[in-house]
Amino acid sequence: MAKPNIICVDDQRDILATLKKELQFFREYVKIFYCESADEAENILDEIDAKGEHLAVIICDHVMPGKSGVEFLGEVNNDIRFQKTKKLLLTGLATHEDTIEAINKAKIDRYVGKPWETHDFINKVRTLLTEYILEEGIDYNEFLTVLDQDTLYKRLRNTT
Amino acid sequence: MKKNIKLYIAIIIPLLVWILPTELIPIKDLTVVEHRVIALFLFAALFWILEPIPIYATSITVMVLLLITTSDRSFIIFQLAAGDPDFGTLIRYQDIMGTFASPIIMLFLGGFFLAMAATKYRLDLNLANVLLRPFGSNPKYVLVGIMVITALFSMFMSNTATTAMMLALLVPVLKLFKPGDRGKVAFGLAVPFAANIGGIGTIIGTPPNAIAVRYLTGDYAMGFGQWMVMALPFVIIMMVFLWFLLLRFYPIETETINLQIGGKFLKNWKAIIVYCTFAVTIILWLLDFLHGMNAYIVALIPVAVFSATTIINKDDLRNISWDVLWLVAGGLALGLALEQTGLAESIVASIPFSKFAPLLIVAFASILTIIMSNFISNTATANLLLPIMVALGVSVPELYDVGGLRYIVLTVTFACSLGMAMPISTPPNALAYGSGFFRTQDMLKMGIIVGAVGLAFAYIYLYVLADVVDLL
Repeated sequence: MAKPNIICVDDQRDILATLKKELQFFREYVKIFYCESADEAENILDEIDAKGEHLAVIICDHVMPGKSGVEFLGEVNNDIRFQKTKKLLLTGLATHEDTIEAINKAKIDRYVGKPWETHDFINKVRTLLTEYILEEGIDYNEFLTVLDQDTLYKRLRNTT
Repeated sequence: MKKNIKLYIAIIIPLLVWILPTELIPIKDLTVVEHRVIALFLFAALFWILEPIPIYATSITVMVLLLITTSDRSFIIFQLAAGDPDFGTLIRYQDIMGTFASPIIMLFLGGFFLAMAATKYRLDLNLANVLLRPFGSNPKYVLVGIMVITALFSMFMSNTATTAMMLALLVPVLKLFKPGDRGKVAFGLAVPFAANIGGIGTIIGTPPNAIAVRYLTGDYAMGFGQWMVMALPFVIIMMVFLWFLLLRFYPIETETINLQIGGKFLKNWKAIIVYCTFAVTIILWLLDFLHGMNAYIVALIPVAVFSATTIINKDDLRNISWDVLWLVAGGLALGLALEQTGLAESIVASIPFSKFAPLLIVAFASILTIIMSNFISNTATANLLLPIMVALGVSVPELYDVGGLRYIVLTVTFACSLGMAMPISTPPNALAYGSGFFRTQDMLKMGIIVGAVGLAFAYIYLYVLADVVDLL
């Protein structure tokens, strides 16, 4: 089966480089794309959808030239193709209004402030990936080592 | 191995056997239909072992293939030679499809409803809380408590759900252990092992038990209570052994453990209905010899009660592990085909079992079983081996001297649950391994010891029950 995908969107290359380093942890189990703008990410969304693959998590910066992160995630939230995709907003510069928008309109799943702490960030991505895999009914056994155990156990308690 | 290669192997080998001339297969008087069943049995075995597709998918595929090629409404070209003396008899299609609604499927449905209602109303967590309290905070005794609760719950809930629940409780506590404390390994292994072994305790504990009960018919039939009386002492003794074993190899250094579960029993009317139904169902199961309703019928009582009260609603219904039921149903269909075409007995008859000591046959069969169950699903192991064991038990007269059908079937069934040496052996093993509190070698070492001792013990224990005290 094709690996699930993660998309990272940030206009700053050094941030993308940091993400690339930190997300190494998942490399064996997921395919990760790095985009410099929302437009670029949208093309990848279409590509993933066309191939019929899973988009598990979008990690997105807020302040970017062109479409903002909250706008972009809001569009993904309304896109019937990616209803189960988890959204993480990565930002240091969001205003109060942006934050309200992010929660109410884009329905983001996690909010991470810049600069972030690597361990904590990876755990957040793990949790989101775990939730996505369980909600999509993907066989979790193949991903056991990168999943968040706590989330996994709590959900599996309900299996019959 | 690549998935595609596995898929090709699993398709090509049965296909080759299919096209082989019937006379070349070394089984006496093999009919055309039996020949097809052999190919399909091989197909099922290879698909369940190599797993190129999910195991429940194999099950449904086998069922469909049986319908298309061996049923009395099979594809027309498969019926052309019907009536020829060496053609054999086709299987009624209703019988194959009927395995979907077999009593043991109903039994599991009942078990699923009980488990779902218990988790939904947090009966599982609250019971664990109450049951754990008497074990105090000395880690040695907390370990006993954890094992007792895990084993007990896994008799009525799925082994996977029980393990997930117990690990969710344990992981935060184990994280507080000192870095070098090997006690973590003891706890990490105790949960999946207790769940695997605990599943042996009741006929709804794990699918292999129910499959065994399906094959024990007539004089050999076993009720819920009878099974429990037989299996519970085994589970208890294995728990004691496991406890000593784990403490011996992984002494706990941490001096006190504080397991906080918290929460109160819900007291709304729906919760009370859950408690009462749970209790009544178990009591009815245990007293089946008094009231005449067998375990299958009793199992449907919680299904009706929880549906009528919407304790289990439409949405919950979708969360039932239908895949487990399909897996079992496909296995039953395969077993049915082996039985009704007479193939199982023909195979057994073509191997001169009578030459071997009957106890050796049982030993060999159970060792084969435990090896298989270490590598593939316990249910798939039971699906493949139990129909053959039944044929063995019925047609090898020497086995009658050593407890007959029940002895061989039960030993093999226990062996299905005793394969736990690797993370892939069972879902509880995989979950516990994922928590990272032990290494593969730890699981391998303990799993082999527990499996070997458990199997040897089952072999002797069931022999004593069946032959010496004649309780089986």
